Amino acid sequence: MARSARFWPVVLLGAAVCALAACERVAPIPQAPSETVFTTAHRTIGDAFNEFFGRRAEPVQPIEFPHDIHIEKGMTCTDSCHEAAVDGPVAGLPSVAMCMTCHEAIATDRPRIKTIAEAYAAKGLDLPWQRVYGFSQSAHVKFNHAPHIRAEVDCATCHGDVAKGTVARRTVDHTMGFCVGCHREKNAPNDCMTCHF
Amino acid sequence: MPHKWGLAVDLDACTGCGACVTACHAENNIPTVGPDQAARGRAMHWIRIERYWEGEFPDVRLRFRPVMCQQCDNAPCEPVCPTYASHHTEEGLNAQVYNRCIGTRYCANACPYNVRFFEFFNPVWEKPLHLQLNPDVSVREVGVMEKCTFCVQRINAGKIQAKAEARELADGDIKPACAQSCPSKALVFGDASDPDSAVSKLRRSSRGAGLLEDLGTRPNVTYFPRHTEA
Repeated sequence: MARSARFWPVVLLGAAVCALAACERVAPIPQAPSETVFTTAHRTIGDAFNEFFGRRAEPVQPIEFPHDIHIEKGMTCTDSCHEAAVDGPVAGLPSVAMCMTCHEAIATDRPRIKTIAEAYAAKGLDLPWQRVYGFSQSAHVKFNHAPHIRAEVDCATCHGDVAKGTVARRTVDHTMGFCVGCHREKNAPNDCMTCHF
Repeated sequence: MPHKWGLAVDLDACTGCGACVTACHAENNIPTVGPDQAARGRAMHWIRIERYWEGEFPDVRLRFRPVMCQQCDNAPCEPVCPTYASHHTEEGLNAQVYNRCIGTRYCANACPYNVRFFEFFNPVWEKPLHLQLNPDVSVREVGVMEKCTFCVQRINAGKIQAKAEARELADGDIKPACAQSCPSKALVFGDASDPDSAVSKLRRSSRGAGLLEDLGTRPNVTYFPRHTEA
């Protein structure tokens, strides 16, 4: 008796909620993201979950590019590979033609150079480099490299010691606290509209 | 001295062509919502052209008035925001921070100009239209409020460019998409704190008036009513 007394109100309440939900459905439901449309929605709940907790897959690069060797040879980050950072918002990733300007002649016998020469350059393909850093769409951050380079912020401040490693990995967490801390120190603008627009 | 951004709208010059509306949509990644949602009042236009018919047929006149966020100095949308998503910048912009917005929509209710818009759905672009999205502007997601920013991305870019060239910002360096696309130059944008700027000169005219000025919102958009009988 006690069990059914609790049971029926719950069932009735459930039915009422369902009925209300059905009424609400009169409004057209936004279409689920598909391959033919672009939307800001996450594709799956898992994607939303990962973004919320800041979990990102490590990028897999086409070749294990050794940053350290190139820096040892006297190149700098903004020399030719990421030169767009000097006067633009994005740093850019080098094209295979950029690699081949030097590697037509230099170290042509190394396996990685052979890979890019044969599998990419010879076929007219470009290297499918993967971005290592970058803000998620919902962060609404519009970052511009150029003013930071003019302010003489070292690349390593935000990108870690890439010069000492081979493949670039995410070693610095680009949180808002990280950005604002430096902006305060250097008396850079701190208004929301500086970055979020 | 901080900048103070202002806009002057010459209603004599406005032909109601709608180029500003189109340019604004393209510049600011404003989604279209379709006829069903538009009928429910969910269409988003950061700038709209209001039409006013005067007189009786056949003696009718049509008048236009472009209306965008008035970037009020005393903005009714700001004090009602519980999360400070709607706040005032030093340069007199009425800024909307999407990250802070939790979608209470109080600001839209408080705004007397109806220029704040709520994202009722995650916006959708049919591919390949997503390739024309402006990378300098956020693509907002469901549940946030948005509105005209005076093209703050262009203001920031202009300031960065001027600094790179080690010079002061000149009048006319920065143009929002609406002012840039206006074929009759009805919209004039500039720094109102610079007495020599085009917009300051216009604002000094006694002809100018703010929209619903008696509410005390102190708008930064000045309208110049028609004085020719078209």
